[in-house]
Amino acid sequence: MTETLKAGSNELVYEAIGLKKQFDGGKVIALRGVDLQIRQGEFVAIIGSSGCGKSTLLQMLGSLDKPSEGVLNYRGKSIPDMPDPSDYRAHEIGFVFQAFHLLPTFTVVENVQIPMFEGALSRSQRKERAVELLESVGLGHRLNHFPSELSGGERQRVAIARGLANKPSVVLADEPTGNLDSQSAKSIIELLLQLHRDLGVTLVLVTHDLTIAERATRTVRMKDGLVISDQLSIPPTDSP
Amino acid sequence: MTLFTIVVRGLIRRPVRTGLTLVGISIGIAAVIALVGMAWGYEKSMVRHLDVMGIDVVVSNMSGGIMPKVYDASLEEKIGKLPRVKESTSVLMQMLSVEDAPMMMVSGREWAGFTWSQLKVVEGRMPKDGSENALVLGRLAAEVLKKKVGDTVQIDAMEIPVVGIVDGNAVVENGAIILSLSVMQEATGNQGKVNFIDLQLVPDTTKAQTDELCKQIKEIFPEGRAMVASEVVGTSQGFRIARAMSWSTSLLAIIVGVLGVMNTMLMTVFERTHEIGILLAVGWKRRRIVYMVLWESALLGFLGGVAGVTLGAIGLKILETTPAIRGLLEPDLGPQLIFISVGIAVVVGVVSGLYPAWRSSRLSPSLAMNG
Repeated sequence: MTETLKAGSNELVYEAIGLKKQFDGGKVIALRGVDLQIRQGEFVAIIGSSGCGKSTLLQMLGSLDKPSEGVLNYRGKSIPDMPDPSDYRAHEIGFVFQAFHLLPTFTVVENVQIPMFEGALSRSQRKERAVELLESVGLGHRLNHFPSELSGGERQRVAIARGLANKPSVVLADEPTGNLDSQSAKSIIELLLQLHRDLGVTLVLVTHDLTIAERATRTVRMKDGLVISDQLSIPPTDSP
Repeated sequence: MTLFTIVVRGLIRRPVRTGLTLVGISIGIAAVIALVGMAWGYEKSMVRHLDVMGIDVVVSNMSGGIMPKVYDASLEEKIGKLPRVKESTSVLMQMLSVEDAPMMMVSGREWAGFTWSQLKVVEGRMPKDGSENALVLGRLAAEVLKKKVGDTVQIDAMEIPVVGIVDGNAVVENGAIILSLSVMQEATGNQGKVNFIDLQLVPDTTKAQTDELCKQIKEIFPEGRAMVASEVVGTSQGFRIARAMSWSTSLLAIIVGVLGVMNTMLMTVFERTHEIGILLAVGWKRRRIVYMVLWESALLGFLGGVAGVTLGAIGLKILETTPAIRGLLEPDLGPQLIFISVGIAVVVGVVSGLYPAWRSSRLSPSLAMNG
C-alpha cells in the first residue's frame, strides 16, 4: 500500500527547511524543525494526534501565521518575506476549514464571491463564477440560502466552492471532515478527490482520520512538532 | 454583490445599535442645524431688514451689547449734510422684554424719516405726528403680543396705545414695535439720544465714495463707526457672539457624535474579529478591510446627517413659531447649511472610523479566526 518517498517529478510547490514555531515567548513549541517538500499535483495527507503541529504547519503554508525560524518557500519564494501575502492567499491557494468559516449574514452565492473581490472579475462575472462553482459541488439549488439553513456537509461544500473561487493551484484543507457525520465526510472527501483529479490542484489535507489519509498519494506523519514519516501511498483504485 | 452590499450588510446586522447610533448623530446634526440656522437666520433677517428699509449706511456707537450704546441725536444734523447723503434718519432701537414677550425689537424712528415710508398699514392707521403717544405693531408682533388696534402696550413705564398694524416686508420689521423717536426717548428715559443714524445715499454712489463718506463720519464722531449696511451684521459684536456660541455648542454635539460612532465601530470591529480573520484568510487585502470599516462609518455618518437635517428642519420650524423667536428672525435652512451639516456628519463618520479601521487592519488572520 505504501512505499518510501522518492523525489517527485513535478515542480516543487512548497519547501520547508528547519521550520519552527513557538508561542508565548517559547513556552509552547508547536513546530520543532520541520523539513518538507510538496510538489505540484500531489495529494498530501498530514496526519498525527491532536497538538502534534499539523494545523500550525498548514497555517504557515497558507501564510496565516509566520514561522519563528526556518525556511518556507512557495515556488521558490519565501512566504514569510512576501511583501503582501494577501495576493498569495487570494490567488494561489484555497482554504477549507474544519469549522467552515462561512459568513453568516451572506447567502451561499455571496459567500463564494467574497474571495473574488481581489480578482479582476466584474460583478456579474463574480456571480456567474460563484453559481458555476456551487453547481459543480452540487449546491445549485441552494444559492440564496444562508449558511444557517444548510447541513454541515452542505456548508463544507460551500466552503470548498469558496476555496476554489480564484482558481488556486493549491487547496489547503484543515480537518475538512472533522465536524461532519460519516456520510457527509465521505462525500466531502470524494468531492476533494474529484477536484484534485479534475482540476489538477495540489491538495494538502490535515486529518487524524487514517481512512482519509489512505486516499492520499502521500502521507506525512507528525509527532510533537516534527515529521516522523513521509511516505508515498497507492490510493485504492475503486471508490469506497 | 459589491463592497457596498457588504458595507450595508455590516450595518443592518445589528439594527438596534445602528439605529441608536443614527439617533445620536442625528441629534448632534439637528443641534448644528438648529443653532447655526438660527444664528444665520438672525443675520439674514437683519440684512433683509436693512435692505427693505432702504438703508445704505448705518452710523452707530462702537461699544454696546446686542444694541450699541446711545449717543447724542444732534450728530445727525452734521452727518446729514455730508456729501453723497441723500437722506438721514435717527433711530433709538432696543431689545426689550415687553409684557409677556421675553424679547422684542422696539424701534423709535424719527418722525417722517424714510424708514416709515416702507411700512404698509394693514389695519388702523399710522401715528398722526411724531408727538402722538402711539405706536404701530408689525404683523407678527401683534400676534405674539396678542394685541389689536385700540389696545395698549407697556414700554418700560409708559402705556402706549396701538393705533395700527403694519407690514414691513421683512420678518424683523414685522416682529417689531415701531413708534416715533420722541415717544421712544421719553418711554426709555433717553431724551435727546439715539443709537443709530441710518443714511440713504444718492444713487450711483461708488464704493470709494462710500468709504470716503465713512471716513468723514468717523472724523465727526470719533467714538462711533459708519458701516455699509451689508457689513453691519457681520461685524456686530452681538452677532459674532451668537455665531461663536452656535458653532461652539454645535462642536460639543459633534464631539458627542464622534464618540458615539467610534464606540459603535469599535464594537463592530471587536464583534467581527472572526469575520475579518476569514476575509484576510481568503485573500482580502488589509486596505480593503480598512475601506470596508471606513465606508461603514461614513455611511452611518451620512444617514445620521440626513436624519439630523430633517430633525433640525422640523426643530427650526417649531422654534420659529415660539413666542420668544417669532418675528425676531427667520431661521436660515439653505442648501449651504444642509450641505455643511451632512458634510460634517460624513467627516464625523470617517474620523470615528479611523481608529477601528486601523485596529481591524492590524489583526492577524489566524488569531482573528481562532479568537
